[in-house]
Amino acid sequence: MDPSFWIALRLSLEVALLASFLLLLVGVPLAWLLAFRRFPGKSILEAIFLLPLVLPPTVLGFYVLLFLGPEGPWVRITGLSWAFRFEGLVFASVLFSLPFALTAYREAFLALDRNLLDVARTLGSPWWKVWSKVVFPLVWPGLLSGTLLAFAHTLGEFGVVLMVGGSIPGKTQMVSIYIYDLVQALRFEEAARASLVLLGLSLALLVLVRLLEAKGRAWKSTTA
Amino acid sequence: MEVHYRIRKPIALEARFHIQGFTVLLGESGVGKTTLLKALAGLVPAEGRPYGGLPPERRPVGYLPQDLALFPHMTAWENVAFPLAGGNRKARALALLERVGLEEHVHKRPNQLSGGQKQRVALARALARNPEILLLDEPTSALDPLTKDQVLGELVELIRREGIPTLAVSHDPILARMADWLVVMGSGTILQEGPPEEVYSAPSQLLVARLLGYENLFPACIEPGGVEVNRVHLRLSLPPWAQPGDTAWVGIRAEEVIVVRQDPPPPLENILEGVLVSLHPEGLAYRGVFQGSIRLQILLPRHVQARLNLHPGQRLQVVLKPHYLHLMPGQMD
Repeated sequence: MDPSFWIALRLSLEVALLASFLLLLVGVPLAWLLAFRRFPGKSILEAIFLLPLVLPPTVLGFYVLLFLGPEGPWVRITGLSWAFRFEGLVFASVLFSLPFALTAYREAFLALDRNLLDVARTLGSPWWKVWSKVVFPLVWPGLLSGTLLAFAHTLGEFGVVLMVGGSIPGKTQMVSIYIYDLVQALRFEEAARASLVLLGLSLALLVLVRLLEAKGRAWKSTTA
Repeated sequence: MEVHYRIRKPIALEARFHIQGFTVLLGESGVGKTTLLKALAGLVPAEGRPYGGLPPERRPVGYLPQDLALFPHMTAWENVAFPLAGGNRKARALALLERVGLEEHVHKRPNQLSGGQKQRVALARALARNPEILLLDEPTSALDPLTKDQVLGELVELIRREGIPTLAVSHDPILARMADWLVVMGSGTILQEGPPEEVYSAPSQLLVARLLGYENLFPACIEPGGVEVNRVHLRLSLPPWAQPGDTAWVGIRAEEVIVVRQDPPPPLENILEGVLVSLHPEGLAYRGVFQGSIRLQILLPRHVQARLNLHPGQRLQVVLKPHYLHLMPGQMD
């Protein structure tokens, strides 16, 4: 296989891995808030987080590019230029996959029996013990399956990363863009092989997600 | 122990009552029983004594919610060991499970246990903290109807043996019969409390009587030496508050309406003549409706029906003994 395929695949995996990790960090507290707390403007906030689901990826990518670009607010505030760089790809990917992760995390929290948390407190547990001994052991299948879903989703993104990263081989050319470029150059055989690798990878990830969901359901059925 | 709590949300209620031994707080759904229990556990904002202002983790209470909330990812002993700290956690958890008679099930997960066994695991887990009181939310709801009475009896026996004052809230009169102390709750307030035999025989008001299974309740006009119901004078001894001319409610339990036998000389007072409208077996007893100048639900023990051999449509006499007639203050509905 062409070495530039492996470079593109590696970049995609790195972006997806880092984006998934950041999603876990940002998404879990956010999902908890959306699942259990009431505050003014909650519906609007939820709608904003779900927006990437319906927005054309090029539109989302365009706004991210404006935000991160040379004249954009991000450069002015932080002095960091992230457009057409690895960091920009990760930033855009986090936004793009947020609805997937958030929805999965929130479902995991909503499936949690609140009585378990109440009783754990009446049994003398401080909040960190409630989290480590009750919440986390029960929701981790849901959190992991949401993260895997976001990972797979990031691996396959096209429009957003094309807008934010361009297609600089070895720097911002992710594997989906690499395949597109192959097809444009009429190199169908190589495109087919690369596509097959992605197909296998995505399928394996989805099987893992289903298995985790089944495990989450098994916990749920025992609380009833 | 005296409890006095005031709650504003999610429903407004103020409750002042006592917990003595195995105390049952009886009330219909929606009057705030669970909210009161959660407030005592510190899970609902409230002010009052005891434990007012303490967070749940610092209150010396053992709280068993309706679904028991056993941790599904832990075995029975791990559940019981959850509140324990320090060394020998497992040994101490096993000892607690032995105390509730579950030594054979220590390695089972909650989904492998029956309703009654789950209840005991939850009890052992609560006991692990040496609570001052136990709080039980609807302990009959998780049980199989066929074995409910027995399992419940064993649970109450177990709690009595541990000697921990317990407040069990329920809408199930079966549980109320096992109580050492009975508290009856209406919407947002306590209606009556006392020893169960006292509350059962002398409900303080119509609502309590209905809750405790008085099926025959009638508005009455107080007369000297008794009351008038549907133009029939019934003799009974009047309590001091009852003044002739006042209206009140009079009640009698279905099982305390007595069918008059023809052979011995009939009693002289409170006799009603009428027709037996219907009669059906109900468990080992017979339930019927008597229609005279007053319509009455009656419940005949099996041995009485065996002797009298009553059938629907026949005429009969019933007597309402003054001793079983209970008078309560109150206007008509």
